[in-house]
Parts: sequence; C-alpha cells; structure tokens
Amino acid sequence: MSDLLNISPIIGSMLVVLLPFLAFLIQAILGKRSQSGNIALVSIILSTIFSLIFVFAEVWKQEPISANVSWFTIGTHTFTLGILLNNLTVLMQLIVCIIALPVHIYSKSYMKGDPGIHRYWMYLSLFCFAMLGLTISSNLLMMYIFWELVGFASYLLIGFWFTKESAVQANKKAFIINRIGDLGFLLGIASVYSMYGSLNLVELFGKDGLFYSLPASSDGWLTFTGICFFIGAMAKSAQFPLHVWLPDAMEGPTAVSSLIHAATMVAAGVFLLSTVFPLFNQTVLLTIAIIGCITALISAYFAISQTDIKKILAFSTISQLGFMVVAVGVGAWDAAMFHLATHAFFKCLLFLSAGAIIHEMAHLKEANKLDIDPQDINNMGGLKKWMPKTFILMSIASLALAGFPLTSGFLSKDAILISAFEWAAQLNGLYFLIPITLTLVSILTAFYIGRLIFKVFFGELKIKVERIHLHEANLSMLGPMIFLGICSIFLVFSWNPIAYHHSFILTGFSITYPFAEIHSLHIILPIILTISSAIAWVIGWNWYVKGKYPLNSGNKLLDISMNQGYINEFYNKIFVKSTLNLSKGLYWFDQNIVDGFVNFLATIVRNLAHFSAWIDRYIVDGLVNTIAGTAYYIGHLLRWVQNGRLQNYLGFAFTVVLIGIIYLIIK
Amino acid sequence: MELAIFYAFAALVIGSALLVVSLKNTARSLFLFFIVLFGMAGLFIFALADFVAITQIMVYVGGVLILMIFAFMLSNKELLADLQNTSSKFLSIPNWQSLLLSIGFLAVMSYGIIEWHDNFPQWITENIRQGNIIKSSDNNINQLGIKFMTQYLLPFEVISIFLLAALIGAAHLSRKEDPK
Amino acid sequence: MISLTHFLFVSACLFCIGLYAIIAKRNSIMILIGIEFIINAAILNLVAFGRYDKINYSGQIFALFAIVLAAAAVAVGLAIILNVYRKYKTINPENITDLRD
Repeated sequence: MSDLLNISPIIGSMLVVLLPFLAFLIQAILGKRSQSGNIALVSIILSTIFSLIFVFAEVWKQEPISANVSWFTIGTHTFTLGILLNNLTVLMQLIVCIIALPVHIYSKSYMKGDPGIHRYWMYLSLFCFAMLGLTISSNLLMMYIFWELVGFASYLLIGFWFTKESAVQANKKAFIINRIGDLGFLLGIASVYSMYGSLNLVELFGKDGLFYSLPASSDGWLTFTGICFFIGAMAKSAQFPLHVWLPDAMEGPTAVSSLIHAATMVAAGVFLLSTVFPLFNQTVLLTIAIIGCITALISAYFAISQTDIKKILAFSTISQLGFMVVAVGVGAWDAAMFHLATHAFFKCLLFLSAGAIIHEMAHLKEANKLDIDPQDINNMGGLKKWMPKTFILMSIASLALAGFPLTSGFLSKDAILISAFEWAAQLNGLYFLIPITLTLVSILTAFYIGRLIFKVFFGELKIKVERIHLHEANLSMLGPMIFLGICSIFLVFSWNPIAYHHSFILTGFSITYPFAEIHSLHIILPIILTISSAIAWVIGWNWYVKGKYPLNSGNKLLDISMNQGYINEFYNKIFVKSTLNLSKGLYWFDQNIVDGFVNFLATIVRNLAHFSAWIDRYIVDGLVNTIAGTAYYIGHLLRWVQNGRLQNYLGFAFTVVLIGIIYLIIK
Repeated sequence: MELAIFYAFAALVIGSALLVVSLKNTARSLFLFFIVLFGMAGLFIFALADFVAITQIMVYVGGVLILMIFAFMLSNKELLADLQNTSSKFLSIPNWQSLLLSIGFLAVMSYGIIEWHDNFPQWITENIRQGNIIKSSDNNINQLGIKFMTQYLLPFEVISIFLLAALIGAAHLSRKEDPK
Repeated sequence: MISLTHFLFVSACLFCIGLYAIIAKRNSIMILIGIEFIINAAILNLVAFGRYDKINYSGQIFALFAIVLAAAAVAVGLAIILNVYRKYKTINPENITDLRD
C-alpha cells in the first residue's frame, strides 16, 4: 500500500496529464454510449488528487525537477519530450485541476439531457489533457503543441451547439484570432531556437541557463522575440486588440465558459509570459504593461453597459487579464500568478452562478412560453427571493472581483496595484498613468459588478408572468459553487486578510522586485479602493435599485460601450470585408483571367481542331475520295461499255480498227 | 457502153443496199436484198465470172433469200402489221454513231483505193505481160471443173463436208424441242 | 474492160453498207443481211482479182467456196435466230444483253 502511494512527482504529473487523455480516448471510442460523464469525472478527481498530493505537495518550495526523453533529432540537435516541475508549473497545474473538478461536477446536472452530451464530456476531457499538459511542458515546442490543442478544444466547445449560426461564427472567430497569436508564438519559438539553439526551458532559463551565459545577439532581436511571445499570449489571453473573440466565445455552454474562457485557458497567456519572463527586456515589458492597461480599461468600460450577463462577465475577465498582464509588464509576475489563481476561483464561481441563473431563466421561459433571452439582465430582477444561496455566493465572488477586503481578490489585486505604483514611482513621470488607470479600472469593476448584482437580484422581476417557480439550483450544481465560494475567501491563500505579502503563493515564488517597496501605499491604496468601491456601489444602488437612472439611452459613451467600442465592426470592415473583396477579386481574376486564358487557349485549340478536321475531311479525305471517285467514274464509264450488246462490241472493235488504220495512214 | 451498163448495175446494187438498210419495213428490205443480189450477179459477169454469177443467183436467191423470208415470217408475229406499216417515215432515222463509223471506213477505203490506183502487184503485172488473164472468150466452166477436180480437190471435199455439217446443224438447231 | 478500181470501189461501198447494217439495225435478220453484204463485197473482190489469174482460177474458185460458206453461215445463223426468238420472244439484239457484266 505504501509502495502504491509512493509515486514520484514526475510519474504523478504524468498521470495527472494522461488520465484525462485516457478518459478522452475511452469516451471517444464509446461515443454515444457514455452519456453520464462519470469517466471524465473520475479521471479529473484522480488527477486532482495526484496533482495535490504527489506533485504540488512534493515540489512546492523545493528545487525544480525535470525529466526528458529524446523525441526526434534534426541534424545534431535532439528535441526532447519532458516534464518540468517547479513552483510555477505545479501551481498552475493544481489550479487547473481544482477549477476543472467543480466544473465537471456542475456540468453533470447543468448539461443533463443535452443531445450532444457525449461530445461534451469528450471535449472536456480533451481540454483538461491539453491544459494540464501545457502547464508542465518542459520545452517550448511541446508547450506549443499543447497550446494548439487547447485552442482546438476551445474551438470545439465554443461551437458545441453547432447548429446555432452565432456559435459557428463565434468558434470560427476564436479560432482565426487564435491563429494570429499562435503564429506569434511560433515565430518566438523559432527566434529563440535561432538565438540559443535550444527550446528546453531549464536549459534556457534555469539557474545557469543559456539565456544568462550567452549574451543576446542584439537588443532588437530580443525585443522582436519578446513581442512575438507576447502576441501569442495576447491572442490566448484576449488582450486588446485581439480580445474580440472572447465575448463571442460565450456562445458555448456556461460551464465551459467558466472553465476555459474565464479560469484556465485564457490564463495560459499569462502563464506563458511568466514562464518566459526572463526573455523580456525593458521595451517589451513596457509594451506589455501598456497593452494590459488599455485592455483593462476598455473592457471595463465595455462591461458597464452590456446587458448579456455572460458578456459582462466576459469583459470582466478580459479586464482582469489586463491586470495580470500589467503585473507581468511591471515585473511582478508572481503577483500576476497570484491574481490568476484568485481570479480563477471567483470568476469561475461568477460564471457558475450566472449559469445557474440562466438555467432557471431558461426554465421560466419554457414554462411560460416566453420569447425572451434568458441571458439578458434586463429581464431579471429580485431573484434574491428565490435563489438566496446563489445570491450569497455570487455576492462573495463579486466582492472578490471588486477587491473588497477579506476576499482573495483584495489580496491579489492590491498586490498588482501596489506593485504598479511602486514601479511607476521608480520611473516617475508618465509611467504613473498606468497605476492610476488601474485604480480607475478597479472602481469601474466595482461599479459594473455591482450593477450586475443589483439588476439581477434586487428589485422586482421585470418579466410579468403568473406562475413563477424559480428555485435554487440542485445540490450537484450548488456544491461546486459553495466550494468555489470558500476558495474566494482570503483564508485559502493567506492567514492575513490585509497584507498580501503573506500569501503562500507569493512567498513560494519569493522573487525580488527591481523597484523599492513603498510602505505607505500598502495602507493608503486599499483604503482608497475600498471606499471608492463602496461609493460606486451606492451610486449603483441608487441608479439600478431605486430606479433613479440619470442617463438617457441615447448617450454617446454608453452607445460606444454597448457596441464594444465598434471594434468588431471595425475589424469587419477592415479585415473581413477586405479579405472578402480580395477573395472576390482573386475569384474574378481566376474566373476571368486565368480561366479566361485557359478557355481562350481551349477555344483556339478547339478551332484548330475544327480546322484540321475540315482539312482532313475536305482536303485529305477529299483527295482520296476524288481519286476514288474518279476511278469509280472511269470504271463506271468502262462498265457501260460492257453492256452486253453485241452490236456495240462490234462497233467498238471496228472503231478501233478504223482509228488504227487512220493512224497508219497518217504515219 | 460496157462501162455505162456497169455503172447502172453498180448504182442498182448500192442504191438497193442503201434502201435495204434504211427501210423500217423488214419485208421490203428482204425484197430489196433480192435485187441487190441480182445486181451483184450482174457485176460478177462484168468480172468475167459467169459461173460465179449463176451460182450466186442459184444459192442466194434460191436458197438464202428463201431461208431468210422463212425465218422472218417465223420470227415476226407482227408481220402483217409490219407490212401494213408503210410508215410515215420512209427512211429510218440513222444511228449516227454507226453511220459515222461506216462513212469513216468508206473514206479510208476510198483513200486507199485512190492512193493505190493501178499500182498492181507483181503477180498481176506479170500475168498481164504473159497474157495469162481471163478473156471473155474463155470457157470458164470447163476450166473450173478441171481445177476443182484436180488442183482444189481437197478444199472442195472439205467444203462439201462443212456444208453438210452446217446444214445438219442448222436443221438440228431449228427443230422444235422435245416436250419431255 | 472494166478497171479493177471500179470493182474495188463498189465493193467498198457495199462493205460499208453491210457494216452499217450490222452495227445499227435493230433486227437480227437485218444483221444477217449486213453480213451477206460484206461477204458479197468480198466475193466481188475475189472475182475482180481472179480475172488476172488464168492459170489457177483461184479467184473464182474461192468465190464459189465463199458463196457456199455464206450459205452455210446463213443457214446456221437463221437457225440460231429462230432459237433466240423462241427463248427471248424477240430478235432485237438490243434486248438480248446476257453478256452484260
């Protein structure tokens, strides 16, 4: 028994990755016969247990472990398949497992009765395999492979209800935009390989890795590489301007949105940035920070006026990802990972709660045969009465999102904000724009999430129906939500609810910042944030619950926000239209020039053939026929001579004799 | 005087012959043929061949012509119609090809005769010089009999047998087929 | 004494008439008559030339032979004509074209 339990971290992590893959294979083979999802559930439970006991517990705060086997050889260089276990990877793996587990349980009742449920479990297992594999890959090539697999699984799950036109459009969009990022990632890999001749993370960024021993060929080259990797992360983590796919990705099932498009996959970009962090020079880091900042701001702005509950959460996700990216940009990638972890829990919870609400709204819609959108918050209101537990859980998650004290979000968000301020203080001047913007975004975040809560749970139900039988979600849905709700509280991450420095994640990484700590900020900033958040809530309460909405619907700013800054339309005009026009042009070119040329040649050849056929018929054959006809005619003439009349014969004979005599005479 | 009579006979022969070939009516042609043969016999006499002339009349007029008339009558069911058909056209329209051929032959022959004129072969001139030519005072029949029985005995016998065979053959051909 | 040329000319005329009859006439009997004309023309020539051969009398003798042959030919020819008539019910050689190809 003890032997059985004595599994090395390497084997353990391999099991963690391979179990979902096994589940995927089994479900793929079974097809429609496996509808319960028990196989996926068992595999993810086992993965979580292994990940926690044999991997995380063994490796956390210890020396990194890695194991490689050679895979293939090109020239003199051998590429390897391998596992790298260090603080970062095991943490990421654990987060993925722990988020995936409640989502699986939740899905069991949420997806019940769906005709394509066997596919759902299969895809979910595939996603878990790919995501877990991504976390512990020891080299960039392998990581890239899993990166693509994750994107593919996401594509399948967004388009899960593929009979819906919007879902098909959404998964196409997600896939195409991810391709852009993947291209950047691939270019980055190629660039790294050309510079250092290795893709192994340990060899590159280890204690005395190539990255530190070999001087970089040139700063520009390094910048290029960094930007390439950032583009990869940008697409995956939905950073501006490649963020457009994420709101549309909400077409997938809500459980999928919570797992993939809120907690794990979109965080893969941040994870990648953290992994290759040493690669970034100052230019790249600044770019990262600026982009993250813009993303955080505009998506918070867009979130304010959205009416679709899932879209609000999607923009909030983008906004929080912006935070993480800024954290990486300022060099506090541990804070980014910390926020990633906390965000994963509370955002997942938010989505699951939203899923529960949508579930109930959909039931209401079906029961009363209404023609409403079950995701529209304008139709909701006063749900607190019927779904108090959901309300409490969602409130906890919202507070965490807003960065309210005593929640996990408070710790991680403060970590980022304070790091940003400290970073700006180091550099001074315009750099202060970034932390100030982030502060503003925090307040906006508090406002829009407050709006969501107020509109959904307070006031009266907006739709008027006789029989309202809304009720709490069942236990298999509520259970995971409660678990996540607990995880959204500070205690899980730190015993100290105020000081983020004590959280185990940050102490685990224990990196040193390049900028000085400013102690006063640690007190002032949380207070400012909390107070301003509270003010934002009060305003929101007055606007949405009390009904004193001050703005008319024609407001320009709201309009822009509502339409997501017209970015989609802009892309549509610039890229989609131009591509279509280019295609049309090329089609025209192909049709008229290429085909035309071919057709022209064909016509010429055909006419030539006609001509030669004519020659053959009338000249060649004609010649032969003329000869034959002449021969026939002469034969016919002579045949007439042989007409059987003796007198004619005699006449001919005498004629010849006469001619002979005349000839003799003349001669 | 002699020449005038010769010309008269020659004209009779040629004119009758022309009528024979140009008349549509076969019966008339046959009778005109009779005249031609008589005329020919006359011309033979001018050539001092009185026995040949007699034989001509005997064989042709007495045998051949009668045979022909018989044949004509046997073969032509429309005899009466033919006899009555004195014809609006006295002369038949000549077949121009054969006419051309005949005239051509006549022209060639005439040309030959004129060219030849009286350039007799050597045996003729020799005979004329030696006086070995038949004179009107000669007894031809006597001479012919002697020649037949001496010098030309074999051809005479052969021709006799030939004539016999021909007549028997003709008789055989002419008889009616046995019904069986 | 009539010159040889006269005889030859008459003979030639008769020959040509006979030839015409043979080729042009549409009656077998007339064709036979044409043959007789030609034979007569030949006999006339024999007789005319035979005048200059008193020793052999070949001209007149062969003239007699020719007359006999002509008689035989006529006899056989008429027999043939009768047979043809029996078979074809006509003596027009135009209508007898069995030799045609």
